[in-house]
Amino acid sequence: MNVAQQLINGLALASGYACVAIGWTVLLGAARLVNFAHGQLYMLGAFVAWAAMHRAGLPYWASIPVAVAAVGLLGAAMQRLMGRLMLEHNLTSLMIVTLGFGYVFQGAAARLFGGEPQTLASPLARGTIRMGELWLSPQDLLVFGVTAALFALIWFVLEKTRVGATVRAVAEDPKLAQLFGIDASLVYLGVFVFEAATVAFAAALVAPRSPILTSMGFDEVILTFVVVVLGGVGSVLGTLAASLGLGLFTAFFGALVSPAYTTAAAFAVVLAVLVLRPGGLAAR
Amino acid sequence: MRSAARLLGAAVLVAAVYALPRLLGGSVLVYSTCATIAIFAVMAYGTDMVLSYLGEVSLGHTIFWAGGAYVAALLATRAGANGWVTAAAAVAAALVLAVVLGVATLRTREFVFSLVTYAAAVVAMEVAFNWAALGGSDGIVGIPRLSLPLPGFTFSGSASAELWPLALGLLVVTVLFIHRFRRSRLGLAALMVQMHPDLAATLGLDPRLVRLRVFMLSAPVSALAGWLYAYQRAYVGPDMFEAYFLVLMLTAAVLAGRRVLLGPVIGTALILLQQNYLSLGGDGDRIVLGLVLASILIFWPQGLVGLWHLVARRRSARPDPSAPGEAAAERA
Repeated sequence: MNVAQQLINGLALASGYACVAIGWTVLLGAARLVNFAHGQLYMLGAFVAWAAMHRAGLPYWASIPVAVAAVGLLGAAMQRLMGRLMLEHNLTSLMIVTLGFGYVFQGAAARLFGGEPQTLASPLARGTIRMGELWLSPQDLLVFGVTAALFALIWFVLEKTRVGATVRAVAEDPKLAQLFGIDASLVYLGVFVFEAATVAFAAALVAPRSPILTSMGFDEVILTFVVVVLGGVGSVLGTLAASLGLGLFTAFFGALVSPAYTTAAAFAVVLAVLVLRPGGLAAR
Repeated sequence: MRSAARLLGAAVLVAAVYALPRLLGGSVLVYSTCATIAIFAVMAYGTDMVLSYLGEVSLGHTIFWAGGAYVAALLATRAGANGWVTAAAAVAAALVLAVVLGVATLRTREFVFSLVTYAAAVVAMEVAFNWAALGGSDGIVGIPRLSLPLPGFTFSGSASAELWPLALGLLVVTVLFIHRFRRSRLGLAALMVQMHPDLAATLGLDPRLVRLRVFMLSAPVSALAGWLYAYQRAYVGPDMFEAYFLVLMLTAAVLAGRRVLLGPVIGTALILLQQNYLSLGGDGDRIVLGLVLASILIFWPQGLVGLWHLVARRRSARPDPSAPGEAAAERA
């Protein structure tokens, strides 16, 4: 095993996890909301981009904004339907409803895009960058750079701007925020659309790594859950740290032990963390 | 008097349901639909216990459902065990799994609990898919006929028509169990922990212990459903972990209304009747099931029973003082 190569692989995996998880983290941390259709939105993002390329003949770069816009609109529609549940902050119902939506998306996507596995072909995914013994694909480099920029931007907006303060105020107490003249349902709409749009964006960037299937949503998103729970629910920096840890763990566990059981092993780590530190690693 | 009348009414209802598939023509499809409704309803009661009485969303009950089926399949095919042994082993396995998962999630609530149970289900599926001892992706085929030796008589069956009495019996026992649970100290404690945590704390209830005990009690219910399903299908595979069963359990629990005793049966029956008789194809049925689940909670959170009460109240022009009290007692 080449340690440096596994480090690079781990970093590439980590930036993918972080990129897919950031929408969830913001939704959870800034708005205290959940969306169990996250995995299906990821799947839709990948398939809308694929359809834009293969059915409408757009280049890869042009398909990304199409996927982001389409899935963002879908997120807006979901939020409008669930508006009452969000204002009541009925998390139990929100979990089940979003799970139901996810199931609808899976069925609808199979109807629209067919049941065959497809490849979202990015022009950057085929090349390799070599540095002596080591190599990585330009796509990995792109995901790494975009994720880093995205995290920096989100951290800045949430912590340093008035928009971030408004979002956090609504998360803390929606009714009180409304007394101060903040439109809570507008904030929920914004955060929900942001979550849907970022996961579609992440899908367009990350999905070229492996074949895409309309049934992948339920499984694909599991690592996002692991990252979010490990990172301390809703913590942006915790998510980053947990993604990094999980990416390296996956790369080394896959190389040293068995790639088939990496998710199981990662989950065992999560269970151990939950028993020892129920608030996640970032909890004080 | 009233309880005797109720008992008689329940007995008549069970007898009528028992004869139902024969009255409907007794075809293979009718029997398989009826037996599957009974089995899936029992499966849904496991999730329903956690959802209705604890107010938590367990996304991990497919583990117990599939776990019960896998244990039964392994023991029946490799050790030639009879139905009693496989059922006892399925219950024991579910309890062990529930303790592990329950203790790990002891301090988690709401969506973290759901996330972890969900992740556990996905990981269990991955293990079942990859582990050769569990049949891997092929699963376990050739499960023999179910045989339950009794003194002087052996129940035996593999086709849905043969298994129907047993499936109905399992459903009836489950409903009685849930009925008993709702009136037990634990059932009341669970409701109190869910709805008035402060009051529960004042009374010295440990919410974690209550939650763990309800979770452990709910696991064997789903496991026994899986046990019977293994014999009905004569095959067990990683597909038993699929999201379909998860969405089905949740929909069955909320469709008729939460905390309605017969809710999961009614919900399961409606869903399976649509899928077996008015199917729109696999993907179409997915869309229907997901839409039903989402729209019930968005538009009628009290479920069909709540909708019924609403219509009934609107119809009767004069207010009936006894009706709301009775409805509340039904649901409590």
